[in-house]
Amino acid sequence: MFTHIGSIALRVYLYYALWSALYANNGPQQSFSFKDIITYSVLALLVGLIYNVDGPYVVREKIREGNIAIDLMRPISVPLYVFADTVGQAGFALVQIAVALPIAIGLLALTGTHISAPASPLIALAFLVSVALGFLVNFFLDLLMATITFWTMEIFGFQLMVQFITSLLAGAVVPLQFFPSPVTAIAQASPFAAIYNAPLSIYLGKYQGPELLSTLALQAVWVVVFAVGALALWRVGERRVVVQGG
Amino acid sequence: MIISADRLTKQFRTLRRKEGPLGAIATLFSRDYEIKDAVRDVSFKLDAGELVGYIGPNGAGKSTTIKMLTGILVPTSGTCTVDGIVPWADRQANGRQIGVVFGQRTQLYWDLPLIESFQLLRAIYNVPAATYERNLREFTELLGLDEFIRTPVRQLSLGQRMRGDFAAAMMHEPKVVFLDEPTIGLDVVAKENIRQFIARVNRDRGTTFILTTHDLADIEKLCARIILIDHGRKLYDGSVETIKGRYGRNRTLTADLNCENCDDVRITVPGANVVSREGPRIVIEFDRDAVRADELVVKLAQHYELRDVTIAEPPLEAIIRDIYQHGLGDGSVAARDGLLVTADVETVS
Ligand SMILES: Nc1ncnc2c1ncn2[C@@H]1O[C@H](COP(=O)(O)OP(=O)(O)OP(=O)(O)O)[C@@H](O)[C@H]1O
Ligand SMILES: [Mg+2]
Repeated sequence: MFTHIGSIALRVYLYYALWSALYANNGPQQSFSFKDIITYSVLALLVGLIYNVDGPYVVREKIREGNIAIDLMRPISVPLYVFADTVGQAGFALVQIAVALPIAIGLLALTGTHISAPASPLIALAFLVSVALGFLVNFFLDLLMATITFWTMEIFGFQLMVQFITSLLAGAVVPLQFFPSPVTAIAQASPFAAIYNAPLSIYLGKYQGPELLSTLALQAVWVVVFAVGALALWRVGERRVVVQGG
Repeated sequence: MIISADRLTKQFRTLRRKEGPLGAIATLFSRDYEIKDAVRDVSFKLDAGELVGYIGPNGAGKSTTIKMLTGILVPTSGTCTVDGIVPWADRQANGRQIGVVFGQRTQLYWDLPLIESFQLLRAIYNVPAATYERNLREFTELLGLDEFIRTPVRQLSLGQRMRGDFAAAMMHEPKVVFLDEPTIGLDVVAKENIRQFIARVNRDRGTTFILTTHDLADIEKLCARIILIDHGRKLYDGSVETIKGRYGRNRTLTADLNCENCDDVRITVPGANVVSREGPRIVIEFDRDAVRADELVVKLAQHYELRDVTIAEPPLEAIIRDIYQHGLGDGSVAARDGLLVTADVETVS
């Protein structure tokens, strides 16, 4: 846990150094002030602690090694079981955030930079709802990827590729608004934006009124789409499961 | 009848892997399948309370059959029921009534103390508190769990872990328990402990067991009935006594003679072979049906003073090894005696 926090501190500092160099040379980007972009990066790191809890990863390993047999012989729904496990781990990530947040704020204060607070309690609430929805989209996406393992036992390279595209299109590294505008439009319409970009933009007040509502609604739609997709695929996979090993 | 398997068949389709740098991707789109018949047309019925040995050489299809009975694999054709439930059609309902021990994998939680695994299983199976307490007490005593019940599972020795796994599999009082090589890698004491545990649960609770093992001492000590499969096909289904009577006709007579020039001893009995001679000890093998043991002993006694005589039937292991290597003979004997339940005798090589 402490190495985790150490690496967060380091990354906060790296983002700070990166963005201050960029902003010093090119001035503010799009609608993001320097304070905005630092806030975005720090929040992306912290929210990432929750999202990076890849509960279904265990399922992937179990399918490959055949230990999924143990779960399948029990009177349980494996997706539900994995979900409970993921929520539990996310709870632990919240504790990490509680420790890491003051450290990040303190560290930035040393450089004279401050993170913006949410503009209003309503924005704060919308942000929390949005993070929860993002968590669900992320979970079902992970579950979907894990489920594909039923068909393709060796999928590691593919997983890495998807992870990379996800984090890029999700806005985990750079706000989507920074891309050339056609790309931004596509990325924002993509389900991945529902994971990072939506909650972080809401926090920064980039969406107001109806736009905010439609952003949340779109997130909810993605939750449903991925949940239905992942669970349906799971049902099929479970029935054709080939358990490895004697 | 609690288990019925009806022409269970499982074929595995495996993709032939492509070689080369893009092999993984090429494999993904390849349709070049290899078909492997793991289980073919296997049928049997088990009554509640039976303890049946399911044996066969490596790759015979034992684990595959068990996976179908536990609902983990869907058969290619044929069907089975476990207490009226089709396992793969209602996997969760089946899960509630079965227990499984895989010698090769553990169902305990690696990082948790044993006792916490039990508590989790209690929640998963919804075991009433009183039942749980009673079972925990009984299993702890029978399996000697108290020494390590608070130790994380990853720190347990194999034997300790297996004992934990047995308790875990029985905590919800399943009607049927599947044991896939449960004694693999255990020392003689641990094996005996596990065997006694199985026998006890079977006797006291009427739990039905299917046991696969390569240690035929497990079978001899526990099972009245065996089902023998090879290459996915059932070869034999019947009592251990019958198979011994039919295929273990050879007896070994070991005699210690009271002789001065032991090396000069010559014995000729039709149907009997002297298999070893070492000083005064002589070992003779004979066909129980061709030679009468009493005649053999009398004949020996006429010529020599006998200090000690023992006659042993072959261990089940020798009989089974013989069947693995040579099949069930010409098949006709078995067929005539109703031993061979499968119709396709010609597959017995
Ligand atoms: N997932 C799989 N994919 C392809 N073939 C498989 C798979 N699982 C098993 N087989 C094949 O099916 C056959 C039966 O395997 P199974 O594991 O049932 O044997 P077994 O009787 O349990 O053997 P052992 O005594 O070695 O455990 C073997 O030839 C094996 O190679
Ligand atoms: Mg096996």
